Amino acid sequence: MKRRVVMLEAAAGPLYWVILGSSLWVLLRGHNEPGGGFIGGLLAVSASILWAVSHGSGAARRRLPLKDPLRLAAAGVLLAGFSGLPAWLGGQPYLTHLWGKLPLGFMEYKVSTVLLFDLGVYACVWGALAGYALALLELDEGPPEEERR
Amino acid sequence: MAQANTGQGIGRVERLLFTALPLSALCLVLWKLARLELPLSASLSWVPALGIDLAFHIDGLSALMLLMISAVGTAVFLYAGGYMAGHSGQRRLFVLLSLFMLAMIGTVTADHLLVLFLFWEATSVLSFLLVGFDYHKSGSRRSAQQALLITGAGGLALLAGFLLLGQAAGTYRIREIIEVVPQLEQGGRLTAALLLILVGAFTKSAQFPFHFWLPNAMAAPTPVSAYLHSATMVKLGVYLLARLDPAFGEWPLWELLLKGAGSITAAWGMILALRERDLKRILAWSTVATLGTLVTLVGMRGEGASVAVGSLLLAHALYKAPLFFVAGNIDHGTGTRVIDRLGNLRHSMPWTAAVALLAGASMAGMPLSFGYIVKDVIVEAKSAGEVFAFAKAANTIFGAVAVAVAGVAAVRVFWRHPGVNESCEAREGSLSMILPPLALALSGITLGVFPFFAQGLIAGAAGAMVPVPREILLGITLEFGPTLASLALSYAIGLGVYISWDWLHERFDAAVQRIDRLGMAAHFERLLRGIPRAAAASTRFVQSGSLPAYVALAIGTLSLLLALVMALGWSSFAVPALGGIPGPAVLGACALIAAGALASLFQKDRLALLLSAGLVGYGSGVLFLFSGAPDVAYTQFTVETVFVIVAASILLVLRRSGRLSSLPEARWRPAALALAAAFGAVIMLLLFVASTGPFDPALSDYFSETSLPQAFGRNVVNVILVDFRALDTLGEITVVLLSFLAALPLLALRRAGRERKAEAE
Amino acid sequence: MIPLLALTVFVTVTAGVYLALSRDLFRCVVGLAMLGAGANLALYAAGAKGSARPAVIQKGAEVLADAANPLPQALVLTAIVIGFALVCFALVLLLRVMQYAGSDDADRLRLAEPRPDDPLKPPSHSADCLPVYPREDRS
Repeated sequence: MKRRVVMLEAAAGPLYWVILGSSLWVLLRGHNEPGGGFIGGLLAVSASILWAVSHGSGAARRRLPLKDPLRLAAAGVLLAGFSGLPAWLGGQPYLTHLWGKLPLGFMEYKVSTVLLFDLGVYACVWGALAGYALALLELDEGPPEEERR
Repeated sequence: MAQANTGQGIGRVERLLFTALPLSALCLVLWKLARLELPLSASLSWVPALGIDLAFHIDGLSALMLLMISAVGTAVFLYAGGYMAGHSGQRRLFVLLSLFMLAMIGTVTADHLLVLFLFWEATSVLSFLLVGFDYHKSGSRRSAQQALLITGAGGLALLAGFLLLGQAAGTYRIREIIEVVPQLEQGGRLTAALLLILVGAFTKSAQFPFHFWLPNAMAAPTPVSAYLHSATMVKLGVYLLARLDPAFGEWPLWELLLKGAGSITAAWGMILALRERDLKRILAWSTVATLGTLVTLVGMRGEGASVAVGSLLLAHALYKAPLFFVAGNIDHGTGTRVIDRLGNLRHSMPWTAAVALLAGASMAGMPLSFGYIVKDVIVEAKSAGEVFAFAKAANTIFGAVAVAVAGVAAVRVFWRHPGVNESCEAREGSLSMILPPLALALSGITLGVFPFFAQGLIAGAAGAMVPVPREILLGITLEFGPTLASLALSYAIGLGVYISWDWLHERFDAAVQRIDRLGMAAHFERLLRGIPRAAAASTRFVQSGSLPAYVALAIGTLSLLLALVMALGWSSFAVPALGGIPGPAVLGACALIAAGALASLFQKDRLALLLSAGLVGYGSGVLFLFSGAPDVAYTQFTVETVFVIVAASILLVLRRSGRLSSLPEARWRPAALALAAAFGAVIMLLLFVASTGPFDPALSDYFSETSLPQAFGRNVVNVILVDFRALDTLGEITVVLLSFLAALPLLALRRAGRERKAEAE
Repeated sequence: MIPLLALTVFVTVTAGVYLALSRDLFRCVVGLAMLGAGANLALYAAGAKGSARPAVIQKGAEVLADAANPLPQALVLTAIVIGFALVCFALVLLLRVMQYAGSDDADRLRLAEPRPDDPLKPPSHSADCLPVYPREDRS
């Protein structure tokens, strides 16, 4: 039933990865520049919507990490909740964030549980809101239905 | 019965294990009593922050109660094994009875008001379950509900009274309270505490005007009635009054209310007993009357009255419980408890007849029974203390009708030939239905012959009410006194009542039926019927079933509340200064928002409505972007984009079902507009108040200053979200997840409905 | 700037409530979204102190100076996302209601609370005889 738009399909491939990459970039730089998990997650949602419009909701859903929006969102919440555990186990208040430096030879990269937390937010927003959007978009794809009594 | 036919009763071993519970308690109490180890105290810290300890104290009064609880408990557990043999609910009965016994033990040993209250409420709830044991009968359910509502409401009053009393006395320990309270001024708070506690005690002990629930509670199986409504639970009110007697004893109000309510209950209970034809209900009313006498005695001053309370408590348990067992045996053997249809049972049920005679003799106060000694003590106490004339008359009625009731229960059904003899097929129950009542009745007689055995026990109990040395109490001997004449009078009147029972019954029934309509029970029924009616009326009023009405109600209430709060703080209100003209970008953004909002009001087409609403979102985004909030702005832009795409796809669905335009509606709804504008104005005023009031920058400054040094982030907004307030954010993404989780079943239902429809086509 | 924002909030909130009071469920949902947007604006305006610079600490600086107040921004940011999830839920609910009851007219959705003159309405004094409604989709 789906009307195919060849142009859109062709453009969707690279665009999807560009939007997803920029969403990750927004996520990673979020601690120092405008950005963060919420905005990054919303950008990722728009990437999924793009794929749904061009290839169908089912395909977009299969493209999500973990293949399922609910699983992705739940994993996000779990990840965010988990990021507070190390500090708690070390005797500090829950969700106190720890920082460390990862030497890469030519430079040092700062790693922290904050990043894990933001990644959790990103995954939850992406999963839940993409889940909503894909489910609502799917309604348009189904067989025509007569709603009126 | 739903379960009776399917299951069997429990086995002998399990029954014995259950029975071992009260038996071991009995042995423990007897052992402690014999070794004169009282009083005992124990305390365990429970809620130290509130000063609540699991404090227990066992003195003479507690020991007497414990003895009755465990002794009658043993008898009841044994009896229930035979009475309920083969009944599938037997295990439930035993479990409930065991729990009830533990609650009783807790109540009479607690030394902390709130601990006592907890156990007290537990007895109320368990008695609800026990009275409603045959829950498949609507009568049982109604009786159980009535008992729970009355004792439960009394329990609430009791809690309030306990709290007031504890605050006034500065301690919740009962032993400390009874020392402190007599030295306090008789102020309003203590009076309120006193009245509330009396309500609690009176409801529990079925005192006038809360007397009517007890006979209805006879819907319970006989072992339950014998346990709860003769020996233990209904005595709790008396126990509490006796316990607090040293604290309030000198108050005229205490004396007046206790004697007044007690006397009325004693007389009224006996008169109502004459109305009944059901043996168990007759016994129940006489129990009510006995409780009234007990309350009167607690209200009286003097050592004699205290001794009388102790001995009547014991004697009543020893004769009323066997009489209840007798009623149960008759019910079990003949299938009826209506005295008109019973008679001549002495041949078929000789053992039950013997029990009835022994217990009846004690109840009537025949010489050589414990009841005789008690009657003697009461008469002495009443002649010693100055009592109202009414109380004396009540006592006479009580004594006389007690004789008559004992005659009905012990003589009439066993000796007299009834008009209709349906009892020829009656047969005696098993041994476990004869031995327990026989043992109890025999101990009543034993104590009558050798009152010395009970003397120490009763003196100990009386010692809890009057602070006099044990020797003086022991001096009030339990021996035959010189009041034989007054006893003879009550025997004579009682005999007359017994002989003319049926005649009196007709007269009273006719007379009391007229009073019934004005009585407490009728009021209670009316109240109960009124509650669902009031609920229906208020539901009808509030729940109109119209969504716009609900929204209007919520918004209107909120507006009113906010307006009220602001009106109260009107003096600090000021319209904020314009403060310079904002930049063109901000001005444009505000114009965009306002234009979108206003335009949305007029759109009939749903797509146009969506686009107008989208203007509000994009306008907000622009506003955020140009006033220093890029994070918020990007979030808003992305959300709006996603929303418009999603909503557009929904509109495509709606178009297919021909619903692209809004429902026809009046173009102007003035009432809705007025309400909306009022709410908008309230929010605007709230914003004014918030922005003109003193601004507390503590949090903002803290975040601004510590963001980089402590949290290593330059974007303060993000640092707040993921670090400083990370727990909030965790909660928020959980909400997002949960909302999606809640939507999934709706989506699945929708898909299923659509597939069903497709199949149907 | 506050009076201007307050006026904007007034218009947005009024329009949102007016739409929410409609018997058309779709307008109701849009009104809910607009009410949310108005609430976000109000929250943001109430804490809008400082300059119009983003709340990002400059390179080389240690503390945030001369920038917008970050606190309301953080609040509004999460409120937008949660509000969006709420509106999505309302849309799903709306679609399901339309499918189940065959109507998007709030005045005709009376399965739970029938009109007083509805023949299926239980008599006022009795809670025993509840009306029986079809469990399956009505079509």
